[in-house]
Amino acid sequence: MNIFERLSQLDRRIIFLLVAIAVIVPMIVPLNLPVDITKPVKNVYDKIESLPEGSVVLVSTDYDPGSEAELYPATEAFIEHCFRRNLKIYMMGLWPAGSELGNIALNKIAKYYNKKYGEDFINVGYRPGGAVMLLSLGRNFSDVIKVDYQGIPVDSLPLGRRVKSARDLSMVMTFSAGDPGIIHWIIYFHARYGVPVCGATTAIMAPQQYPYLSSGQLVGLLGGLKGAAEYETLVERRGRGLRGMDSQSIVHLLLVGFIGLGNVILLYQRRKK
Amino acid sequence: MKVILPLAIVFICGFYMLITFFIPAKFAQDSSQLLQLWYQGVAAFFVFIGIFNLIKINVDRIQRRLKDWEYSIILLSFLGVMLVAGFVGGRDSRVFLYLFENFQVPLGATMFSLLAFFVASASFRAFRAKTPEATLLLIAAVIVMLGRIPIGYLIWDKFPDLIEWIMRIPNTAAKRGILFGIDLGLLSMALRVLLGIERSYMGGGVEK
Repeated sequence: MNIFERLSQLDRRIIFLLVAIAVIVPMIVPLNLPVDITKPVKNVYDKIESLPEGSVVLVSTDYDPGSEAELYPATEAFIEHCFRRNLKIYMMGLWPAGSELGNIALNKIAKYYNKKYGEDFINVGYRPGGAVMLLSLGRNFSDVIKVDYQGIPVDSLPLGRRVKSARDLSMVMTFSAGDPGIIHWIIYFHARYGVPVCGATTAIMAPQQYPYLSSGQLVGLLGGLKGAAEYETLVERRGRGLRGMDSQSIVHLLLVGFIGLGNVILLYQRRKK
Repeated sequence: MKVILPLAIVFICGFYMLITFFIPAKFAQDSSQLLQLWYQGVAAFFVFIGIFNLIKINVDRIQRRLKDWEYSIILLSFLGVMLVAGFVGGRDSRVFLYLFENFQVPLGATMFSLLAFFVASASFRAFRAKTPEATLLLIAAVIVMLGRIPIGYLIWDKFPDLIEWIMRIPNTAAKRGILFGIDLGLLSMALRVLLGIERSYMGGGVEK
C-alpha cells in the first residue's frame, strides 16, 4: 500500500486531532498577525464616528451561546466604541439568551467607562414576537416596552423617556445569528422608518447580507470573527476577536491543505483506474 | 363551522393588516398596532408551551426508560435549577449568572464548535473537483478561506480585495436571484393562505 492509498483511508480522529492542535497552539503561542480592514467593517466604524455625542444607538443581541464565540467579541468592541464616543445605548434582544449575553458585555464595559444606567444606557431585555413586535416597536416603543429587564418602568429612566419611536434612534446595530435578526431590522426599521442599520453576523451568514450592503439598506457589516477582529483593530482594543484570528488562520490553512490533499488523492485514484 | 371560522379569521385579519400597512391614517395604524400587540401576547405564551412540551417529552422518556433516558434527568434537573435561580434571585443574581456563564454559554459554544471538526473531515473526504462546477466552487472556497484570514493577506495583499469582489459581484448576483425566487414564492404562499386555498396550517396536512 503506497502513501496515497494510506492517506485515502486516513482515520478521521487524526484529522480531529490536527484541528484541535491548530486551534490550541496559536492560543498558547500568539502569532499576532496583522489584520486588514475591509470596507463593510470600516463603514460601521465611520458611522459611529459620524454620530454626534449623545445620539441613541439601539443595540440588539439576536444570538445565543452557540454563536457567542463569533459575535460576543464584536459586541464588546462595538459597545466600547459607543461609550468612548459618548453615545447612548438602548439594548434589547430578539433571542432569549442573547439579551443575557448582551447584558454581560454592556455592564462590563459600562463599569469601565463609569456610565450610568438609565442615563447612558438601558437594557430592556428579550422581546418576543419577532417581525410583528418590530413593526409595532418602530411606531411606538411604549406600546411594546413598559419595563426594562429588571422590571423597572422605562418611563422612570431618562433614556427610556427619550426613545418614543424609531425616529428617536440614530442607528440600529444588530448582532445576528439567524431568524429573527438582521433582515427584520432592515425591513421594519430601515425600509419603513429610514433608521440606518448596521449588523454583525456569523461568518456563514455574511454572504447573504451583501445584496443589502450593495443597495445601501445595510450601512456596514462585521462578518464573523474576522469582522470582530477588524473592529477591534479599528478601536484599538485587543480582545477575543484578534486573539481568535491566529487560531482561525491556522485552521483555514489546514482546511485548504486537506482540500488539496483530498484532490491529489482523487487524481491518483483516477490515474490508477 | 370548524373550517369556515378559522378561514374567515385568517382572511379578515390578514387582508386588514395588509391594507393598513399602506394607510397612514391614525385609525388604521392604531387598529393594526392593537392586532400586533395581541400577537405579541400570544407569542409570549409560545415560551410556556415550549417548556411544557420539553417537560412532557422528557418525563415520558424517563418513565418509559427509552434510549439515553438518563440525559433527560440531567436536562430536567438543570431546567428546574435555572428556573428557580432566575425566579428567586433574579437575572442579575450571582447564582443565575454563574450558571449561565459557566454552563449554558460553554455548552452552547461547544455544540457549535464541533462543526469545525466535521467540516475539516468533510473538506478532506468530500470536497473534490469531480465536475467543472465543483472545481469552480472549490476554487472560490479556497480563495475566500485564504482571503478571510490574516495569513492570506500576508501571502498576497490582493486576497481581501479579491474576496470582496467575489462577495459583491457573483455572490450578490446569485443571492439576489435566490431572494427574488423566495420572495415570489412567499407572496404566492401568503395569498394562498389568505384566500383559503392552502389549508395545511389547520392541521392534518390536507389541502383542498
